[in-house]
This record gives sequence, structure tokens and C-alpha cells, in this order.
Amino acid sequence: MDRRRLSGHEVINNRWLQLALRLGLGGFFLYASLDKIAAPAAFARIVYQWQVVGPVPANLVAVILPWIEALAGVLLIAGLWKREAAAVIAMMLVVFILAAGSVMARGIDVENCGCVSTAKVEEPSWFKGVGWFLVARNLVLLGAAVVLILPRQRTAS
Amino acid sequence: MGVRVVRMAAILASGALLGFAWNSWSGRGFVLGQSVFVQAGDEVIEPAEAKARLDRGALFLDARPRDFWTMSHVPGALSLPEEDFDKAFAALEPKLRATFNIVVYCSGYGCEASHVVARRLREKGIQAAILSEGWPAWTDAGYPVTK
Repeated sequence: MDRRRLSGHEVINNRWLQLALRLGLGGFFLYASLDKIAAPAAFARIVYQWQVVGPVPANLVAVILPWIEALAGVLLIAGLWKREAAAVIAMMLVVFILAAGSVMARGIDVENCGCVSTAKVEEPSWFKGVGWFLVARNLVLLGAAVVLILPRQRTAS
Repeated sequence: MGVRVVRMAAILASGALLGFAWNSWSGRGFVLGQSVFVQAGDEVIEPAEAKARLDRGALFLDARPRDFWTMSHVPGALSLPEEDFDKAFAALEPKLRATFNIVVYCSGYGCEASHVVARRLREKGIQAAILSEGWPAWTDAGYPVTK
């Protein structure tokens, strides 16, 4: 039996991988947006803690960002404007990663990053706050978004 | 076919519109032009006004954890940390009730402690103003500090 290794393009073009990434990335961001949409003032309080922008710009971020996450998530799940939705998510992830790096470099302790929940953290944990886990997770999500942005090559019939 | 920037712009713009609409009409929104910590009844003053009040003999209260007050504070400020309010208030109450010009501050716009302390004082019948953006705003303005 002649087995050959799949090329990178074939792996990326695999429709099951594309579907899994779309549903996974879109579902994550849609889920992450819900609590922030339900409690925008609580999310604003969290954005303040990052101390990246002043209170009024932070208010705008708190009000707008969750809806962009939700919209991009829905578009990915529905398979509409897939590459553009993934590109918007990729842009947000790059900003999140840079902001997290800034928070860590300045030694600011943010117990709840506000990524998926606005609930007050009773016990600080490495997976809820701003730290290396957050950066690593966002890099993985960014990788998924980049795969979805890449043009799919049509195979000759 | 490349990524269409117009579609990306449409996603961002639609998200923004939905966000503003939700903030305005959902009943869960808040005032965007001021800190979310500000509630009805809070008196928030700018550093220049706070400095003027200090010059007129105002009493400043430091709502940060006590260690921060120990490192440095506004001249004459007393420590009234939010995390230890009841105990600290009990010790300061006679002095606070004899003062009619009080300003509370904490560690910046991300800190809600000064708002909480001011409200708890108000519950006890003591009026206090809140320094907008707290200690960093005071030091950035070049106002005096005690170490």
C-alpha cells in the first residue's frame, strides 16, 4: 500500500479540521461573550484592573468588545464570512496577548482576566488571572484563527 | 481571494453598534463618560480641587492597604483601609466627626476602595469627597507627599 505523508496544505485544507476549528473557536468566543454582555459594568471593573487605558476608554472596551466577540463567534459557527471573522478574532487575540504582557511586565495582579466570566474570584488561580497560562491559551487560539484565515487551495477535479 | 477588509470593518462596526444599543436599552448599561465606580451621591473631585482643599485644612483618608500608607501618603492623611474599615473607623471616629472637609483616595482609577470607604462614611453620616484617579493622579500632578 502506497502511503504518503500529507502536505501542510492538505492538512490545513482538511474540511473536518476546518469545521472543528470554526466550531471550536467560534463557540469559545460566543461563550466568552455571554457573561460580559450580561454584566457590562462588572466587565468594566475588570478592564480597569488591567490599567492599559483610562476609565472612559475602558468603558468603551467593556461595552463593545463582548459584542464583537459574539458576532465573530456566530459568523464562524454559521460558516459566514469565515476568514474575516477569524481575522477579527486574530486581531483581538494579538491585542489581548500584548496587553497581558504589559500587565505582567508591570507586576499588576489581575485575579480575573475577564476572559470568560466577570464573577469575583474567591480564590486566585493560575488559569483565571493574567499570567502565562492566559498567554499560552491565547497563542493556541491565535494559531487556530490563523489556520482559518489562510486561503484554502481548491484541489483539481 | 484575500480577506475582505470591508467585511472585517462591518463586523467591528456592527459589534460596536450592538454594544452601544445594548448599553442604552437593556437596562444593564452604565454611564460611559465616567468611572463605573461612581454611584449616585458620590462627590468626585479632581486633583487640583483636592489640593485646594488640603491647603484649606482638609483631612485626607488613605483607603489603600496600610502598608501603602506607611510607604507614602498625602501629608496629614490618616489610614482608613477598606479591607479593615470597621476597626480603623472605630479608632478614627471622634476625629472624623469633628471634621467637615474630608477627601478619600486610593491607588488609581482601577481601585474602588475610595468609593466604598466614602459610601460607608456616608452611611455613618460623614460626608467625604473622592479624589478622582487617586494616588497616581496626586503624584503625577507633583503635589506634596509624606514618606
